Amino acid sequence: MRNLEKNMFTKEALALAWQYFLPPYTFQIRVGALYLLYGLYNTQLCQPKQKIRVALKDWDEVLKFQQDLINAQHFDAAYIFRKLRLDKAFHFTAMPKLLSYRMKKKIQRAEVTEEFKDPNDRVMKLITSDVLEEMLNVHDHYQNMKHIISGDKSNPDKALSLIKDDFFDNIKNIVLEHQQWHKDRKNPSLKSKVKDGEEKREGNSQESERCERAESLARIKSKAFSVVVQASKSRRHRQVKLDSSDSDSASGQGQIKATRKKRNKETLKSAGRKMSSKNRDNMQNVHKEDKSLRLSMPVITEEEEDNESFSETEFTAPKRKRKSRTKNLV
Amino acid sequence: MAEGTRIGPTCHGMGSRQDPVSSSGSCNFPEYELPELNTRAFYVGAFGELWRGRLRGEGDLSLKEPQASALPGSQGVAEWGQEDAAVARDLGCSLEAAAELRAVCGLDKLKCLEAGEDPEVIPEDTDLVTLGVRKRLLEQREETITIDRVCRQETFAYEMHKEHKPYQTMLVLGSQKLTELRDSICCVSDLQIGGEFSNTPDQAPEHISKDLYKSAFFYFEGTFYNDKRYPECRDLSRTIIEWSESHDRGYGKFQTAKMEDFTFNDLYIKLGFPYLYCHQGDCEHVVVITDIRLVHRDDCLDRTLYPLLIKKHWLWTRKCFVCKMYTARWVTNNDSFAPEDPCFFCDVCFRMLHYDSEGNKLGEFLAYPYVDPGTFN
Repeated sequence: MRNLEKNMFTKEALALAWQYFLPPYTFQIRVGALYLLYGLYNTQLCQPKQKIRVALKDWDEVLKFQQDLINAQHFDAAYIFRKLRLDKAFHFTAMPKLLSYRMKKKIQRAEVTEEFKDPNDRVMKLITSDVLEEMLNVHDHYQNMKHIISGDKSNPDKALSLIKDDFFDNIKNIVLEHQQWHKDRKNPSLKSKVKDGEEKREGNSQESERCERAESLARIKSKAFSVVVQASKSRRHRQVKLDSSDSDSASGQGQIKATRKKRNKETLKSAGRKMSSKNRDNMQNVHKEDKSLRLSMPVITEEEEDNESFSETEFTAPKRKRKSRTKNLV
Repeated sequence: MAEGTRIGPTCHGMGSRQDPVSSSGSCNFPEYELPELNTRAFYVGAFGELWRGRLRGEGDLSLKEPQASALPGSQGVAEWGQEDAAVARDLGCSLEAAAELRAVCGLDKLKCLEAGEDPEVIPEDTDLVTLGVRKRLLEQREETITIDRVCRQETFAYEMHKEHKPYQTMLVLGSQKLTELRDSICCVSDLQIGGEFSNTPDQAPEHISKDLYKSAFFYFEGTFYNDKRYPECRDLSRTIIEWSESHDRGYGKFQTAKMEDFTFNDLYIKLGFPYLYCHQGDCEHVVVITDIRLVHRDDCLDRTLYPLLIKKHWLWTRKCFVCKMYTARWVTNNDSFAPEDPCFFCDVCFRMLHYDSEGNKLGEFLAYPYVDPGTFN
């Protein structure tokens, strides 16, 4: 009897903790779940130990999470995950739960604690850095083609003028505005976290680990707010090399001028639901950047002045800040 | 929300399969068809390959026992150094960090039960609410039938019309043939002995039903897998197929195959979906595959023991009417000595009541050998 109880309890406990280890929970919650799994698994009384079930569809997420941990230098969390895997604590299964077509049994819907979840930023999920990059490439390619097939090589034919030329810039700026809005919303808490980290610098190794963790967490959060952090990947069929500052989350919206465009308004309507009305007014003054100088392609003339120097500084500064933080970690 | 490329891997390793990859574009990523109830159909073998492709060979899949040095508390300093180096390499940190991690995150840091403490004994001074509840519940014993996983695959066979509890839970290896599972399913109808033996109670019946009626089939995803190992085996599924084809009943085209030609890896099945096992002509069992997973070091590693019975529903056995002690082995009808019809007797009481000391039949009755469903307990 005791054995049965032990087994059932451990199975349930592990399954419950496992739920919190997967998205859509926040990073912090997921790390907490990992610790919980580690503790439950190693302190269980069952012999042989009950395993942690991983379904095939979730494994990629798990690996991604592990990589995030390593990249963010959360060595303790990465260590315990590595230990679990080394100890063969996992069962690699088809589905998370056992299925037995129990129609009569009431299906208990797991209540997901809302505050543990990452806010569902659908705008950012739709317009990711990949999407933006792809859009830019297609856009430029398209413009190029227009030039090539036009009679006058420097200006595409009027008949080919079927899109708004600054479409890409508008989208990009809208997205950047949105990010900034998010960031501003979260800013008060972010600032206090960083302060806490810095105050606790003295103390034993565990404390420093904690504050480093807080710092890393703050770093990760700020990372999460940027569209593109890494340099762009290269595409085989296109020669365009994007400079990373182009699509980065430069936060210089305050100084960006804008021209009112029809398309602007339309995109605003769909993407602007989350924004406050104040932002919406700002959005209408979106300005597009001139990327042409960075590209290795022939110049495509554009109408507005460029803002690129500003955004570049904006980009490098935060990057530098991040680098200095990294050095303080173990 | 833009979904990323979730369904990456294609279905490899299907060359040896007899059936082509289903036209429903089945990806072998098991996923729910009816949430919480069953998955879509997928190929078992391909699913296994998908997992293996994602894991690090020996590190994750080895079935070997852990080496002694992996046990906590038994390591020397030199081994620690080695382990730290491995940690540093895997995590991309320094050696000092690895050593620190070992100290800080080690298992001894998890506050476990002290030696001599019994987890059943709840200390008096606890203020944990859950411990208080546990104390009250310690007397209640609720037994629910749990469905365990079987190595590589889990199947359980049960009678649906009974109280929805699984009768048997088996572990089956993916490489095993369907016939091996068939042979391991214990059903009481297999043991039935036909015939009336009131005049010849001592004649041990030579054949049980299992030997007489050897046909059986499994039904999975539109295909009837008939047992054709013996010449006496008949295609029980033909009746069903003919019935389904006689009119447009809305069922797809059924197929037949030989049970002995297929392993579980070859199957195209849904998890959690009820399928059928039929034998003895009309004895039907619902078969549900509840789980599939990769084999693990802690599983039973003796291949000859598979299919392995994990859980069995315990049935009340019918006891002899006279002594109330032994399991009934005979059942009588129209029995002038019996107070009820039918009436069950154990062997000893049956003979004492119905036959004299020379073995002559007394009175009028019909007697049949009885095999109790709880025989397998």
